[in-house]
Amino acid sequence: MNQTKKGLSAKDLIVTGVFTALIFGCIMLGGGFFAAAPALTFYFPVGASLLAGPVYLLMIAKVKKFGPVTIAGVIMALFTFMTGMHPCMSLGYLAGGILADLTAMLGKHSSSKMNILSYIIFSLGNTGSYLAYFIAPESWVRFMLEGERATQDYVDLMSESANTFVLVTMLAGTVLVAALSAFVGSKLLKKQFEKAGIVK
Amino acid sequence: MKRRARNESRFDSRCKIILLILTVFTATQAPSLSFLCGLMLLIALFSLFCGKGKAACVNLLVFTALYAIRTLALQMRPGGLQTMILSWLSLMYQVYPCGFMAGIILSTTKINEFLTAMTKAHVSPQITIPMAVMLRYLPTIREDWHFIKDAMRMRSISPTLWGFLTKPALTVECLYTPLLISASRAADELTIAAVTRGVESPNRRSCLVQVHCTIRDYMAILIFATYFIAMKFGGTA
Repeated sequence: MNQTKKGLSAKDLIVTGVFTALIFGCIMLGGGFFAAAPALTFYFPVGASLLAGPVYLLMIAKVKKFGPVTIAGVIMALFTFMTGMHPCMSLGYLAGGILADLTAMLGKHSSSKMNILSYIIFSLGNTGSYLAYFIAPESWVRFMLEGERATQDYVDLMSESANTFVLVTMLAGTVLVAALSAFVGSKLLKKQFEKAGIVK
Repeated sequence: MKRRARNESRFDSRCKIILLILTVFTATQAPSLSFLCGLMLLIALFSLFCGKGKAACVNLLVFTALYAIRTLALQMRPGGLQTMILSWLSLMYQVYPCGFMAGIILSTTKINEFLTAMTKAHVSPQITIPMAVMLRYLPTIREDWHFIKDAMRMRSISPTLWGFLTKPALTVECLYTPLLISASRAADELTIAAVTRGVESPNRRSCLVQVHCTIRDYMAILIFATYFIAMKFGGTA
């Protein structure tokens, strides 16, 4: 089958599926609360990157090939599209997934520093729709109001709380939280999983 | 014969995905709430045809309740709380029909039918296999989560925010380690099961259940598409 040609075996695909489910759960658990509140919505990426770090690192460590992160990104993009989010969110996941996968490949999937960096990039994929807001606020507001994605009040409140400070906090916060999460993850991996022989 | 008849009364997986995409487009581009209500009725009808009458009733009731909350919230004093409720509701209105549709599709689609239909539609297995595994594994996470919480209580480690604040390292370890180990075990077991059943076989995938589109599928797509087009071009007035 073509998947053996490209290097991903059935096992890798199944591992990817299981861990994508966990990453998806972590993102929703960590970020769901922020997404619904207008004043806090910009901190969604920060919350979303909090929990998935260890899961992400273990997925890379188990597969050690190019592909799983990209697939996780594609699946996340499909889910956000299916639930009617801003299209830039899906684009963010796609771009974040592919770039993160390439980063992990640079470290041959076993350098812990590169893997942490890769998780940071993957988490920045969460910021897609918010970056779109800062690049073109007017069209973003129009899009959100058009389909009753958000009420006028929601958008107003959002615009009030949106400024350069928030943008910087959002990006820096995401990077920091993701780094922390991945750092804890890599420690955990070393302490528990390498000894147990789950990761070689 | 009886089994075959029941299988034929099902909708095709490809048809369901097209319906879901149409639902998403309709929900995201609905100019007003009344169109979303219409959409909900349409989906309820669809779920009735899928043999999910109870789910249809429950979801319609929940949606009505949401509508009632909106009416109540609109009568409230304008302020932060009202904005919070309304914005949360507007998110719900949009996500709810999609979630309802997705829920029905998930509960009525068997994984083997899904995979066969996707193979027929020439979707790469690189996407379909992880997707199928993910859908199969999501409910298991919740189950595992309860076991882990029980196990933590047994060792008198509190699986709450307070526990996390007082003993962060221990709590994190006790949460993630069993979760991740059970996940990687599940992955290994699923792999063994899948490889034994020939996932890696280079031959064309076969399926005992006849997977093909019938007139019902086309009718359903036609109805949903008509609703979308009618809304898009006739609904703004």
